[in-house]
Amino acid sequence: MTTVSPHKTAPAKGRSRAKRSNPVAGVASFVWLLIVIIPIYAMITTSLAGPEEAAGRNALEPPKNPTLDNYGLVLESGFPHYLLNTVLAALGVVAIVVVLSVPLSYVAVRNRGFWSGGAFRLFLLGVAIPAQAVVVPLYLMITKLEIYDSLWAIVLPTAAFAMPVSVLILTGTLRDISEESYEAMSLDGASPTRMLFQLVIPLSKGGISTVVIYSALQAWNGFLFPLIFTQSEEPRVLTLGLYNYVSQFGVNIPALLASVVLSGVPIFVVYLVARRALVSGMMGVGGK
Amino acid sequence: MTEPVTKSVDAAPKAGVQATRVGRPHASWALPGVLFFMFFAVAPMALAVYLSFTEWNGLGDPRFVGLDNWQNLVGDPRLTQSLTVTVLMTVVSWAFQTVIALLLGVWAAGKQRNRAILSAVFFVPFLLSSTAIALLFFALLDPNFGVIKGDTLGTTSGAFLAIIFVGGWQFIPFHTLIYQGGARQIPEVLYQAAAIDGAGRVRQFFSITLPQLRHTMAMSSVLMVVGSLTYFETVLILTQGGPGTDTAILPYLMYEAGFKSYDFGYASAVATFLVVAATGLSLLMVRITGFGSMRSVREGM
Amino acid sequence: MESYSRRWFLGVSGATMLTAGLTACGSSDSDSGKSGGQLTAFVWGDDAAKIQEDAVRKFNASSAAKKTGGTIKLQRIPGSDYPAKLRTAMGSPSAPDLFFNWGGGSIKAYVDADQLIDLHDIIESTPALKNGFLPSIIQSGALEGRPYGIPMRGMQPVLLFFNKKVFKDAGLEPPTSWTQLLDINKKFKSRGIQPFALGGADKWTELMWVSYLVDRIGGPEVFRKIQGGDASAWGDPAVLRAAEEIKSLVDDEAFGKGFSSVQYNNGGASTLLAKGKAAMHLMGSWEYPTQLGKFKDFAENDLGWVAFPAYDGGAGDIKNVVGNPTNYWSVSARTKNREAAIEFLKTCASEEYTKALIANGDIPTTANAGALLEDSPNPEFAKFQYELVQNAPAFTLSWDQAVKPDWSAPMLTEIDKLFLGQSSPKEFVTALKGLK
Repeated sequence: MTTVSPHKTAPAKGRSRAKRSNPVAGVASFVWLLIVIIPIYAMITTSLAGPEEAAGRNALEPPKNPTLDNYGLVLESGFPHYLLNTVLAALGVVAIVVVLSVPLSYVAVRNRGFWSGGAFRLFLLGVAIPAQAVVVPLYLMITKLEIYDSLWAIVLPTAAFAMPVSVLILTGTLRDISEESYEAMSLDGASPTRMLFQLVIPLSKGGISTVVIYSALQAWNGFLFPLIFTQSEEPRVLTLGLYNYVSQFGVNIPALLASVVLSGVPIFVVYLVARRALVSGMMGVGGK
Repeated sequence: MTEPVTKSVDAAPKAGVQATRVGRPHASWALPGVLFFMFFAVAPMALAVYLSFTEWNGLGDPRFVGLDNWQNLVGDPRLTQSLTVTVLMTVVSWAFQTVIALLLGVWAAGKQRNRAILSAVFFVPFLLSSTAIALLFFALLDPNFGVIKGDTLGTTSGAFLAIIFVGGWQFIPFHTLIYQGGARQIPEVLYQAAAIDGAGRVRQFFSITLPQLRHTMAMSSVLMVVGSLTYFETVLILTQGGPGTDTAILPYLMYEAGFKSYDFGYASAVATFLVVAATGLSLLMVRITGFGSMRSVREGM
Repeated sequence: MESYSRRWFLGVSGATMLTAGLTACGSSDSDSGKSGGQLTAFVWGDDAAKIQEDAVRKFNASSAAKKTGGTIKLQRIPGSDYPAKLRTAMGSPSAPDLFFNWGGGSIKAYVDADQLIDLHDIIESTPALKNGFLPSIIQSGALEGRPYGIPMRGMQPVLLFFNKKVFKDAGLEPPTSWTQLLDINKKFKSRGIQPFALGGADKWTELMWVSYLVDRIGGPEVFRKIQGGDASAWGDPAVLRAAEEIKSLVDDEAFGKGFSSVQYNNGGASTLLAKGKAAMHLMGSWEYPTQLGKFKDFAENDLGWVAFPAYDGGAGDIKNVVGNPTNYWSVSARTKNREAAIEFLKTCASEEYTKALIANGDIPTTANAGALLEDSPNPEFAKFQYELVQNAPAFTLSWDQAVKPDWSAPMLTEIDKLFLGQSSPKEFVTALKGLK
């Protein structure tokens, strides 16, 4: 590993400009801050209100008799189970996407053959195809594969539709690995396999973590696939669980909002712990 | 693949003029990924095309009916309306999100501490899933028991704007981040030069910041356009395509045809249309943003 | 490389665990569908589903379940998605063994696809089923004379519910004629009370208004012709007249301003009535158990009901009823344990189940129900409903279940557009005449 010295282009960063004040954008940011905070505040205070108090109260006032009953109700209504399913589905999607797209991107960047070029083009085209569009044929396939109403029915198509953007991100990262690095390793007689594990993967950690975050978010956000491909309680994921609470809790708005708050807690914790990684990962989705 | 390389944006520095043959994995390494993608993404698209020529109610096997679904689709006022709404929604939410994300992103690129804290707060909505956000606003906007009482979702413009707003509320944090990353990479020297030439702040923004962010903007726009095609959850939860069919965007029209009327053949025709439109859009975007040329850049190494 | 291989190991073991987890979820579920013993049953997941939950629990502990080696797993499916979920499940290998439905049009596609068991012979050879229900009710859910369902809930006529307290405060009586209804609307509006609750986000709630008005104006024959599949029958003047009446109600804000975003399925419309924000609510008789579940005090003290008012000069009798006869359990032809399913269906005719329905405010369609009505939480309501159905000269099935399946969704969309003012009464009629 020590023989490898990746060349990194240091992005030029603003210095003095970065410290200038900017009143117009400052005011806009403050307005947006309110737009972000008010719904969140209303959500949290309402979720603490009792069902009787909720109907008539002004959302901007804190509840008079705050209660955690709504949260209790949500936790008793299958929430932990749904969360576990979502975590499992996200892990499954991430595993599939990473294992399949890393070698694929490696080929796309390093192999100049006709086929690898074709493969890359294929994924490029897939970037803009909304997964929603193919839900009907996928439903047909999933029933024929006999995985209807299981987590696989969610994981497999979600992973497939997360691949184009992942490949795009990874090829972008892999291109930054310099030619000398490969040459240096080949002097040691390294095979492409060894290069993959000792050069490509270690040097594209940034890209891989972006892909991990991106594909995990796809699973986290997925709604239509779970809605159509599952129906029973066992494989129910969080998004679908939340959706079902609409009928279950009805006009018990506080309980509904408590479920929304709870659904944000796990990822909020991740955000607190790994904000830097998450944010740079998301920036990575945007490309450079 | 064959176009000569003239630009090298941020490619890795070049070692030798001619490329060596080392570290070149066999193309078959890509096979598992390609096959998987073909099976779960490309094959369904082909199947959608096939199903669009059949009549199928979800039970038993699809029956071939030729062009029936397509003829129905062409003459269907629902499609015209749905297409208009989809395009309108895409354009309006692109404009809304781009303006705010650009402004916030450039602002947040500054290194001040308060800006860092605010950007951390801005990011919070993105932590909620689209479903959770749709539910949040569904609850807040309930006409009788919500927080913002009134008939927001019952009027055409109210429902339309609510969907745009909810989409923006969710995705602006993400695009702000993209612009923030982009703005931080603009070389400071450009601004210094402009300042020496006596260019004001506004001028600097339009003649340096904006042009320098064009790639960022292209990427962000691709993601926004694709993202707004998938406002399905928001529509399903907030308005169910209503009032009437006024917010029934294409994916919702497809869902309704398939899973409410069980006309899966017709739904597949809508789906095929959506795939073709999205592919066209994607080709266009690839051309504009130059993703495809990234490969050519490498070819010249 | 040390740290690297450790991470690799973690990754691999993680992936292994994950696969195990996913498979466990997948396989445990397919087991339940395939083990032969266990049956799944889909039920509409509203407040009343607790009756079915109890019944399943009792059945699973019964000797019949042991003898047939079958237990039932009930899945409550949230209301608005029920038909779609049922269809996707029925099209998949893990179809439910038993499922809730409305009989008639709602099961036609499954019957056409040979997915249901024709219960005729089973009913004939099983005294508990043959003598257990009012014969006309089993027939109402049948298709071409063949029964595919066993009644499992109460009768469901659509009634005009009202809030007694709101009426009393205003010194008003519920309407028996359309003129009175319009007059009452005016008085409530001047008091700042919305005359009617309407869950317009669920389109079938709007359908109830159209169905009753067409019946009261033109008589039951108008819809009978439409039901026959003749689209030109929508051209009957009664349909246009009904549409005009609806337009003037909407323009008059009789349903409030925001009705199109009020839901029935989440309890929104019922809450408006219970909280006195609205004076009346046209709804199926299940509104009573719904109110009992959500607002017990209100249901027991202040919930009133009358038949839909007569239309002055109209051809329809005020005694005519619109609604559903009841709900049914149908049995999938693919069930692995037919005996257990039939044993369970028998419990629907039992006195115990009948009593449970009655206690919930339902009027069961079992043969023994009449004698048990006194046990209802509200015998007055029970008898009213029972007699209403018994004495009805005509019982019109809910239009969305009665018309051919291709018409159902577009018809509801057109009705919604009429309510929203997006199409005029004339355009409404033209659009319906254009249905294919």
